[in-house]
Amino acid sequence: MMSHFKIRTALFAAALLVVSPLLLAQNASTTIPTDDPVLKAMQMELARSQAKLQLPGQLKPYFIQYRVEDLDSYDARADFGAVSQEHANHQRAVRVEVRVGDYNRDSSTGRGDGTLVLTSPDNNIDALRFSLWNATDMAYKSAVQQYTNKLAKLKGFEVPPSYDDFSHEKPVIHIEPLAHMDYDREAWKKRIEHTSGLFLHDAELGSFADQIQYSISSVSAQVLNRYTINTEGSVVRESRPIYRVTAGVGTQADDGMHLDRSYGASALTASALDSAAVVDKKVGELLIALRDLSNAPVVSEQYYGPVFFTGDAASDIFTELFAPNVEADRPDLGTTARTQGEYTSSYKQRVLPNFLNVVDDPTLKTWQGKQLIGAYEVDDEAVPAQKLDVVAHGLLQNYDICREPVRDFPQSNGHGRAAIAAASRSLVGVLVVRSSAPQSKQAMQQKLISEAKDAGLDSYYVADTLGSQLAPRMLYRVNVADGKRELVRGAVFDELDQRSLRTEITAAGDDAYVDNFLDNEHGDVPVTIIAPSLLFQEIGVKRATEEQQKLPYYPPPSVVAK
Amino acid sequence: MPIRKLCMTAAVFFLAASPALLLAEANAAASQPADTVLLDAMKKELHRAMTTLGKTGSDAANPAMTPYFMSYDVADAWTTSITAQYGAVLNSEQGHSRDVDVQVRIGDPKLDNTHGTHRSSAINSVTLPLADDIPAIEHTLWWATNRGYGNALATYLTVKTETQVRAKEEDTSPDFSITPPVTSIEPAVKPATVDRKLWEEKLSRLSGIFKQYPHVFSSSISMSVQDETDYLVSSEGSVVTTPYPLTRLIIFCSTRADDGMDLYREETFEARTPDGLPDDATITATINRLARELEALRVAPVTQPFNGPAILSGRAAAVFFHEVLGHRLEGQRQRGDEEGQTFTKDLGKQILPLFLSVSDNPTLASFNGIALSGHYSHDDEGQPARDVDLIQNGVLKTFLMSRQPIASFADSNGHGRAQTGYMPTGRQGNLIVSSTNQVPDAKLRQMLIDEAKKQGKPYGLFFEDISSGFAVTTRRSPQAYSVVPLMVYRVYVDGRPDELVRGVSIVGTPLASLNRIVVTGDKQDVFNGDCGAESGSIPVSAIAPAMLVSEMETQKQAQGTAKPPILPPPAADNSTGKESAK
Repeated sequence: MMSHFKIRTALFAAALLVVSPLLLAQNASTTIPTDDPVLKAMQMELARSQAKLQLPGQLKPYFIQYRVEDLDSYDARADFGAVSQEHANHQRAVRVEVRVGDYNRDSSTGRGDGTLVLTSPDNNIDALRFSLWNATDMAYKSAVQQYTNKLAKLKGFEVPPSYDDFSHEKPVIHIEPLAHMDYDREAWKKRIEHTSGLFLHDAELGSFADQIQYSISSVSAQVLNRYTINTEGSVVRESRPIYRVTAGVGTQADDGMHLDRSYGASALTASALDSAAVVDKKVGELLIALRDLSNAPVVSEQYYGPVFFTGDAASDIFTELFAPNVEADRPDLGTTARTQGEYTSSYKQRVLPNFLNVVDDPTLKTWQGKQLIGAYEVDDEAVPAQKLDVVAHGLLQNYDICREPVRDFPQSNGHGRAAIAAASRSLVGVLVVRSSAPQSKQAMQQKLISEAKDAGLDSYYVADTLGSQLAPRMLYRVNVADGKRELVRGAVFDELDQRSLRTEITAAGDDAYVDNFLDNEHGDVPVTIIAPSLLFQEIGVKRATEEQQKLPYYPPPSVVAK
Repeated sequence: MPIRKLCMTAAVFFLAASPALLLAEANAAASQPADTVLLDAMKKELHRAMTTLGKTGSDAANPAMTPYFMSYDVADAWTTSITAQYGAVLNSEQGHSRDVDVQVRIGDPKLDNTHGTHRSSAINSVTLPLADDIPAIEHTLWWATNRGYGNALATYLTVKTETQVRAKEEDTSPDFSITPPVTSIEPAVKPATVDRKLWEEKLSRLSGIFKQYPHVFSSSISMSVQDETDYLVSSEGSVVTTPYPLTRLIIFCSTRADDGMDLYREETFEARTPDGLPDDATITATINRLARELEALRVAPVTQPFNGPAILSGRAAAVFFHEVLGHRLEGQRQRGDEEGQTFTKDLGKQILPLFLSVSDNPTLASFNGIALSGHYSHDDEGQPARDVDLIQNGVLKTFLMSRQPIASFADSNGHGRAQTGYMPTGRQGNLIVSSTNQVPDAKLRQMLIDEAKKQGKPYGLFFEDISSGFAVTTRRSPQAYSVVPLMVYRVYVDGRPDELVRGVSIVGTPLASLNRIVVTGDKQDVFNGDCGAESGSIPVSAIAPAMLVSEMETQKQAQGTAKPPILPPPAADNSTGKESAK
């Protein structure tokens, strides 16, 4: 089997630091600090467990991993111009994974085994060890039980799995400086109050302000410092600060259709988030867009033809339809599939048009000056992050994989990522979609028009932004003849799926939209997806068949008169 | 985090209280003026809703679309919570939250959307702005009222259909009692200034005491302050502000016996402010006592099923009465096709031995210097709290009533209580059991031994501490209860020392067990805690003397199957680990 990935060394990461001054000072070291009480407690208890932990008559563990997550968090939310919720907390949790058996066949169930215990955020070694001791005891007992159950279950299958349960990896020492929360709480509270109250004073909005049903803005800071050590000798300390600001406004059209617009930004530092002026401008635009949407006609019955997706919309498509299927999840025990998901049989097969390439490179920390929150140096199983050629010339070359091998992939490629308090699983880091023949905006435009004409259509559609489940939020019907744009509402796409990804994309732009987000399918792991605008030759656009809800029974308190 | 409806401050003295009780309430919370800006915003928006809903557009022709009652109840709470374990802080948080319960009733007091199983259709809750920002408060109240109205309307239509197609109900009482509006503006609680560093250090230090006990596998000590003020405004014109300061210190420890049985000990201290909590010496003594008790329990013999005489300590009797009797006297349980209605038809009849009386008095702030959890001045429907004589000399007189009428009683007696987010129902406050057949506690013990001899049993049981199990009062399940004994001793008739046993649980049917109480001790003990039921979790207390029961049935408690920890806790492990594991 040919490997297509290259292993990035610490040197390369250092080179990136020199080139990009906007990066955090990530001076990772390979020396284990002696003054870190958390590491000390973990090492002491791990040594004791490794030496002595054994139930009479049962196997000793062959692998133990300790993880301590120190989470300093703050969040606040404002509605209608005033703060309604505010929480601050500093907590630490211990997660222990114990494996019994051997690398080939062990006690892992595939459901993400690990025992979680809350521990002290103080640097008290006794208290930390106490929690580790408790969690290790429970994890070992579960592992012994699970190992017996698994061996019994495997006897029921004709052919055992051809791959190991746990991959062999080299130990890694990687110590990053601890991150601390750096954040002006009072200033941000004022900002979200101001943002959520914008509709009350927006001159351009006029009387539409009385139609706003919700106006929310929230801010959050989650500074995670994560420690991972295991009996193979790995010692990792990584920091992951994420700052996030969001805003959302909503209304209902006269026929009861709910209309929503939202804004969100994530970054590794609070100062890298959009400025107050930028946010105000964006939310102002959202409010006007809501007004325009509520006045817009409902989309016409049905259309099959060219649809242009901006980079913003395209990144959502890759998030929803592509990324989950290139993450190698072990199939059910006893089956012969390679992974789960839509691309389980697509290894080395076409999944995209031949001019599209996809790379997953977690070592990429910025893109044209913008911080990429999906970047990391060592994954959450202590395996160094690798740059992967996921798709080359439209053919699937690699899956993101953690330490749980699947057929044809016996090693981790450094994409084992864990949400807070959760097990590691194969996850995307920084996914970059690029065309080998990028088209300018004008060229895309011309192609759109010619494809519409070829299909005998008098209009085509442009999707600016998408909402949940890829339903369009800002969708325009454009006249072929004169290029006039008309906003429409209430649409959903038909046949926007893996097949159309493979056969319908006829052009990709020379732009690149950077989407930093928290993947909440997997417990809020930071991910970055970068995608160009895309032209699909034939996608269906039709009316959503949502239940039309009742309008409010009485109007909100008027703001316009004030 | 669910907000508990809390007890009241001692600042209210408009109810007659004996001088002894006044002196006893030394720990009172500070107060500040009630938030009238918030009240005004609530009144204004409530009025706007009442005068606009169901009166515009196509609904204008149909008066049935207008709510006949609405209320806003805001719980404005400042909380601090600090927990320590094994010598270090585990968690330390402070916060401020404001939630509003919006209640909407459509129809009329005889039949509205809360009828039958639809009680919760009247209520919905939302978080309110933390500061007095009028436009934000008004918009939030509008949004929640709109949602509540839609739900109430849809449910009312369902209720009307149901009453037409179903069989006639047993209890045809109205759904809402008519009562004059209440105005009571008490000062708000001034949130206690909690020195977090001080308490973190204190609790860390105290929690470290458990390190000396190698078989305590889990332990914690936590302190929580909840300074809440409730603001209630109703369309009837009621305006009620009620302060609820509550501070607690909870000590907990647990272990596991070699046979897998999980055992725990717990103690709660209650006060109105952190200053009212016990001093370090008391806490230290309690920690050591609980740990020693736990160590003794761990190696105590497992009990066998038993049917014979028993003594419940005052504290255990208080829990017992709360579970076995208290829940069955809640008003709404006397009505409804699903309820067992144990005592519904027993008004005026004797249901307890003649020497026992039971009252529920939320107006009592403390008892013998101990702050009472179930103390409040106005319930969650704005009704003044009242001292209610439930059972007088063994005879059932009345039930705990909210504004939901039952066949025998039309009106509330100030016991309509709920956790934020739930509809109020009749609940306990401070349940007080008193007795006219008392003996000194030492005599009680002798009477236990005598009774055991009489019954030919080798011992009687002494239940020193029990915890609430659950009370099953519905028709579909057997009328059983199960309380969890924590510290139980065999008191031998042959003079042997008392023997601690483990694995005991009490079973029985309520009616039978209550009437087997023979005599009581002469000192009442207090049990403070939280009670969970249909209207959520609320703070309560129960007060009772020790009791001798002629016959108590016990069974063996279900065993846990997990083994104790394999290695000793880190601080207790002195071996080097160099020897191989065997």
